[in-house]
Amino acid sequence: MLARQLSKGPALSALRRKNPLSIPRAFAVRNASTASSSSAFESFLNSRLTLASVSLFTAGSVAWYTHLYGSLPFLGQVHASHASEEGLHPPDYPWPHAGLIDTFDHASIRRGYQVYREVCAACHSLDRIAWRNFVGVSHTVDEARAMAEEVEYQDGPDDQGEMFMRPGKIADYLPGPYPNEEAARAGNAGALPPDLSLIVKARHGGANYVYALITGYVDPPAGVEVREGMNYNPFFPGGAIGMARVLFDGLVEYEDGTPATTSQMAKDVVTFLHWAAEPEHDDRKKNGIKAVILFSTLTLLSLYVKRFKWTPIKNRKILYDPPVDKKH
Amino acid sequence: MSFSTTLYNTFFRRNSIFVGTVFAGAFAFGIGFDTGATAFFDRWNRGKQWKDIRHKYVEAAEEEE
Amino acid sequence: MAFNGLKKAVTLSPCVRTLPSGVPAAPLLNLAARAPADPHDHGHGVAGPRSDSTPRWVGGVSRTASGLASKSYVTLSPTTPLSARFLHTSVAVKDAPQVPDFSHYRANDNDSNRAFSYFMVGTFGLVSASVAKSTVTEFLKTMSASADVLALAKVEIELASIPEGKNVIVKWRGKPVFVRHRTQSEVDEARETKWESLRDPESDEQRVKKPEWLVMLGICTHLGCVPIGESGDFGGWFCPCHGSHYDISGRVRKGPAPLNLEIPAYEFNDAEGKLVIG
Repeated sequence: MLARQLSKGPALSALRRKNPLSIPRAFAVRNASTASSSSAFESFLNSRLTLASVSLFTAGSVAWYTHLYGSLPFLGQVHASHASEEGLHPPDYPWPHAGLIDTFDHASIRRGYQVYREVCAACHSLDRIAWRNFVGVSHTVDEARAMAEEVEYQDGPDDQGEMFMRPGKIADYLPGPYPNEEAARAGNAGALPPDLSLIVKARHGGANYVYALITGYVDPPAGVEVREGMNYNPFFPGGAIGMARVLFDGLVEYEDGTPATTSQMAKDVVTFLHWAAEPEHDDRKKNGIKAVILFSTLTLLSLYVKRFKWTPIKNRKILYDPPVDKKH
Repeated sequence: MSFSTTLYNTFFRRNSIFVGTVFAGAFAFGIGFDTGATAFFDRWNRGKQWKDIRHKYVEAAEEEE
Repeated sequence: MAFNGLKKAVTLSPCVRTLPSGVPAAPLLNLAARAPADPHDHGHGVAGPRSDSTPRWVGGVSRTASGLASKSYVTLSPTTPLSARFLHTSVAVKDAPQVPDFSHYRANDNDSNRAFSYFMVGTFGLVSASVAKSTVTEFLKTMSASADVLALAKVEIELASIPEGKNVIVKWRGKPVFVRHRTQSEVDEARETKWESLRDPESDEQRVKKPEWLVMLGICTHLGCVPIGESGDFGGWFCPCHGSHYDISGRVRKGPAPLNLEIPAYEFNDAEGKLVIG
């Protein structure tokens, strides 16, 4: 830099080459030049944006790794339990309602209710579903009323202060198989059959897990011992589950003629349970697609309006127009 | 007179008409958008919703009676 | 070196130097130079001495037209001949300030641009208003009764199970509801009463939908007791708490009660012979 600024021409350069010490005083000064030696690479290295994006990239990679493999990278971990004790990871099944704007298959819900009624309801309650919830989802009002009337509910007290039994109304909730938890445990060798109202929301893997569980009964592999009265299921945390396999081909007879294979019944009952856990599911997706359309339209419009409002401010030029002296 | 000038003179010249148009349009848009989105949604999910399969069971119930 | 030769024109030679005393000096510039008196200076007059001009006592180089006159320093001369420093902070002067070119912001056609801008702003308002309306209505909907409450809010009664001349009390939303199957003589009695002079004037036609069925809330309008049926001075109901008498149409006739017995919302389901309250 110094040399370049000092060099006034080929003659001077020649002079310098001949004897550096013989430079005239006028040229032998040090220039305090403020012209920055900016190179694009240096400013790229020093910019905040680079720093921020590199940090973000690093944090993102670590987070992604953790998400994929379940542990932080470069840190050795020792587990007290074997991975099989957390159960197999259920596969992703192609549910008819899996997409962003896909509703439940309501015919499947109706079949699933039949499976629940004929198979699951022997042990599992469905406390949060009332007969009226089926209306407009899987059954007509008359069907729901007829189903409710098949069940006797205790009501009262009447004029004499006595409790009495009456046929169910559609405002009543589905009856459970056991009067209380103790009775349920006593009837199932100490294992409590969970209430199924929210089971899809209450288990990791949701509908995939429930489907994998009820279709996943296999013989225990070599070396795995299952206690008497328990059953082996690789998808269940721990492997040993109190519930035995219940779904077998042809167990129920569907009213719409669908072949009642094990997987068909499992798919229907899981769809039904998914509906029971998320009755708002269809409306939610419908409102979701509306909200996405409306808000993205609003975003684009507001960007336009912002530009429109700022245009006169951004390209404003301030000019000094001195007043004219009247004397001239 | 060009289309844009006509548009301007019809809707935008007076603020009262402009604001009135916006609110009336919002009302109409709300109904129209709802209808359109529902139509699309029903088309997308054809055959899956209750209203698509309801007729099977209503007729069956009437035949029994 | 040819490269340096090309560079020559770009690098400005230093024109200001710093004396070893630290005082900036520009011996070749006339810092005392002033703009000539200008008729356009609008009365601002001549500026005072420049603050950055070298004071006379510092010495330096003084020149006359004939050449160098004197060269004096108050401070020590530089210890080495090479230690003088030059300052070079001058900014390149441009003919005119650089104003960015905004011409691409301009619209091609003023009329259509105006209409388009109004259209976009109006559309923005339109969609916003629609979204705001939906938001508010959805929020207000959450305040209405939930489905399980509504499901319990109706009571159905088989009308065929109530013989003529009998009272039935049903519970509806936690309150007793009187249902009376009136005989023809009771209906005639209720209709013939001079209701205009009563405390709470109401005709029997206003109080029933079908003359033989009287449906009303069984809560005394005085202090909320439950009146007793088929008693009292007027053949209707009698409140045992404070002695209010109601006639066969449920109108207050005697006692402290201020109003007639209240009528709930109800309707008849003729097809199934049912009364639906709620």
